[in-house]
Amino acid sequence: MSTNKIEIKNLTVQYAEKNKQFTALHDVNFNVSQGEFVSIVGASGCGKSTLLSVLEGIYQNFQGEILIDGHPLEGTGKERGVVFQHYSLFPWMTTRKNIAFGIKQVRKNLSKTERLKIADEFLEKVGLGDFGNKYPSQLSGGMQQRAAIARALAMDTDILLMDEPFSAIDPKNRVILQELLLKLWEGTGDTPETRKTVVFVTHDIDEAILLSDRIVVLTSHPGTVSEIVAVPFARPRNRSELVQTLEYNKFRNKLLSLFYDDITNKIGGEEVVL
Amino acid sequence: MKINIKDYLFRLAHLLFIGLIVVQFLPDQSGGDSYSNYLIGFAVAAEILTLALTAFISKKESRNLFLDIVGFIYAFLILWTLATSKLNLLNPSLFPPFGKILAQFGTDWQKILINIKSSVGIILQGFLLACAVAVPLGLFLGWAARAGNAATYLSKFFSSIPPIVYIPYGIALLPTFRSVSVFVIFLASFWPVFAGTMSGVLNVDKRIMDSAKVLNVSKPELLFQVILPASLPQIFLGCNQGLSVSFILLTSAEMIGARDGMGYYVKYYSDFGDYTRTITGLLVIGIVVIGVTFLFNLFQKRLLKWR
Repeated sequence: MSTNKIEIKNLTVQYAEKNKQFTALHDVNFNVSQGEFVSIVGASGCGKSTLLSVLEGIYQNFQGEILIDGHPLEGTGKERGVVFQHYSLFPWMTTRKNIAFGIKQVRKNLSKTERLKIADEFLEKVGLGDFGNKYPSQLSGGMQQRAAIARALAMDTDILLMDEPFSAIDPKNRVILQELLLKLWEGTGDTPETRKTVVFVTHDIDEAILLSDRIVVLTSHPGTVSEIVAVPFARPRNRSELVQTLEYNKFRNKLLSLFYDDITNKIGGEEVVL
Repeated sequence: MKINIKDYLFRLAHLLFIGLIVVQFLPDQSGGDSYSNYLIGFAVAAEILTLALTAFISKKESRNLFLDIVGFIYAFLILWTLATSKLNLLNPSLFPPFGKILAQFGTDWQKILINIKSSVGIILQGFLLACAVAVPLGLFLGWAARAGNAATYLSKFFSSIPPIVYIPYGIALLPTFRSVSVFVIFLASFWPVFAGTMSGVLNVDKRIMDSAKVLNVSKPELLFQVILPASLPQIFLGCNQGLSVSFILLTSAEMIGARDGMGYYVKYYSDFGDYTRTITGLLVIGIVVIGVTFLFNLFQKRLLKWR
């Protein structure tokens, strides 16, 4: 029996925009188990990023209950590491200083040299061993995200929250980064008890299937959970083998139809732009 | 690397140099000494320096730019020489031959140096003091958003007062001209630096603030390791503005009541109709301002090299 790392109960988020109430999330309920990789997918505007910023602790004006390890969520926390789509790194720090700065926030007792040593180790892990002294602006978008992942992993938080981390990366590098993340995450432990718990927001179906244990599909206006699908593929996964199987394509089509049904219902069967 | 002789030697700038030398040997039309040996000495020194420097500039575009600038200077000196001593087109007391200015610089350089020291000293004192007060204040007020919003409006009012009008009041308040100058320069550079810091702090990218939030950085770290560096580009924008206002202000102030300084030098000698020294002073002020700005830009580039 797996334990619930994150519990989301009756989560509703409403914005007030120019005197008009706007419901971003409506009555969202699901749990994430210890060591589980859960993706949240949905079309733009379905509230998936809002959901993640609630979990990050940045957006605090919500109704409902969020429990982390059984305790109510209160703001940001040291047990959660975050990778954003942009600006996870501070532009004025070199990559290794960025990582060391992150480590400093969770492990105050380490000396500066120890922190930098860990930073270098993790840079090596994400393939940036030679780029520790570069500033983010000197790196490509993909390399910046590698460094952001390295920081999140080096901070060794129980939970990783990733908000469309690869959406701004070109397709070829996106695939490479997905495989890197898969390898690193599977490497965080052999059993769910030791692995990191990940909540990963994306609008890329293939990305979600490759990485996740379960996929939460959100529909928009208001954002609510339409379905939670378990991904039936064994780990460790190999992308190129996986995508050739019939099961993969069947599963993918099923997810896509969930995706499209939502949109076609909403706009009345007209042409769909994702 | 292959060095192309043509690229280094047969350039318009070098032809203009030869032209400048040749022009010096034309017969003088004006009566007085044209001091051409000073100009020749200066031109030869400049040319040697140019040849040496171009050998070190590896980028073709930068080398071209450098040589073009040198070329312009030579061309200007040719025209100056022709218009003054050679063709006598201009009033020689208002437009002395350029060699005479160089000679003046040679005799006056100690006096000039003292004046530069006085001016630059006042600027640095007032400006650095302003930065030391305005940056922390802007940082804290920008951070405390409500107080900051009010402060923005107040600073708009105070910065709209041209600082030069503080001079009479400053003279009443403070005992020496030097302290008045420091005070006025402090005021003049305080507002742009303060406004720059405030707008930098208030406009830190929300995504950067979010990143800092999810890292749970402590308040002092947030202020000094996140907000301060993130605002640095805007702070420098304010500092540059403050520095250039400071020079304008100080030289004007020096023309009013000082006993030394570059503005004083220019004003003092123009009162006597000594326009050679006046022009010498103008050129020196230009060189000093460029020099200080250049050094400040180096400092800025170093601190902002992450951009």
